Amino acid sequence: MNLEQLKKLKEKAQKQIALREGGKKYRVVVGMGTSGVAAGAREVMTTMLDEIEKQSLGSVEVCVTGEIGMVDAEPMVRVEETGGEKTVYGKVDVEGARKIVTEHLQKGKKVQKLAVGQAKEKE
Amino acid sequence: MFEELSQHILDIAMNSLSADATKIEISVVESRRHDRLVLRVRDDGRGMDADTLRRILATSASTKRSRRKAIGLGLAFLRQTSEMCGGRFAVRSATGRGTSVTASMRLSHIDRPPLGDLNATILALCAAEKKTAVQLNYRSDEEKLRFDSRELATKGAVHV
Repeated sequence: MNLEQLKKLKEKAQKQIALREGGKKYRVVVGMGTSGVAAGAREVMTTMLDEIEKQSLGSVEVCVTGEIGMVDAEPMVRVEETGGEKTVYGKVDVEGARKIVTEHLQKGKKVQKLAVGQAKEKE
Repeated sequence: MFEELSQHILDIAMNSLSADATKIEISVVESRRHDRLVLRVRDDGRGMDADTLRRILATSASTKRSRRKAIGLGLAFLRQTSEMCGGRFAVRSATGRGTSVTASMRLSHIDRPPLGDLNATILALCAAEKKTAVQLNYRSDEEKLRFDSRELATKGAVHV
């Protein structure tokens, strides 16, 4: 690590904090347990944060959870619509993470190819 | 297994979040002069008693009852990495007094994984739990760098 990288980190974190304010339409939950991290969940998460920031999607909140119990489907991402449907995506890579942001979070269209199951129950 | 040490850090720090930490202090010391790399993750979470501590240091044990499928390999992985690379591994904890995980290794050891993307780890942690303060202290022979998510949060509030 060097000073340049630290500056970048501060800038990035600052931008992401700014996007936290306001009402949220979607909650994105990334599985960040040991198996998730080993499968690349961190890169998936930072890509999504990046993409959300680039597209200025203030209506999306990103958080994490631990192991879900579907280790073979990691990295996993769950998209929850406020008061609505939940979609679980599995084996998400960086490309898939971008797709989820542009398709699902931006346009409201699910990425069927990555979906592994859906809970019908509302929270 | 993890390819980067920064992934280990994220993994260990996720435990801190599960333990309801309000503050996570990550320190990374990289010294070519002493041929040493030391990682430490310290939190003010709920900590563990001596029995639990003994249990989690055995391979494949987890305190997370909510998930029956939790495997509990995170600490074991880091221990393996540090011991394999000529270092030591220690966990200190007491109920109500937080936990501190320290892993050292020989910087020049051929099996030592690269530090990797430390920024990604910190950003993921900051986003993971907004209320938890994330601090990074990085030190090398030449440099001393510090990141504190709370400093950003107060600056951010001015804009709002």
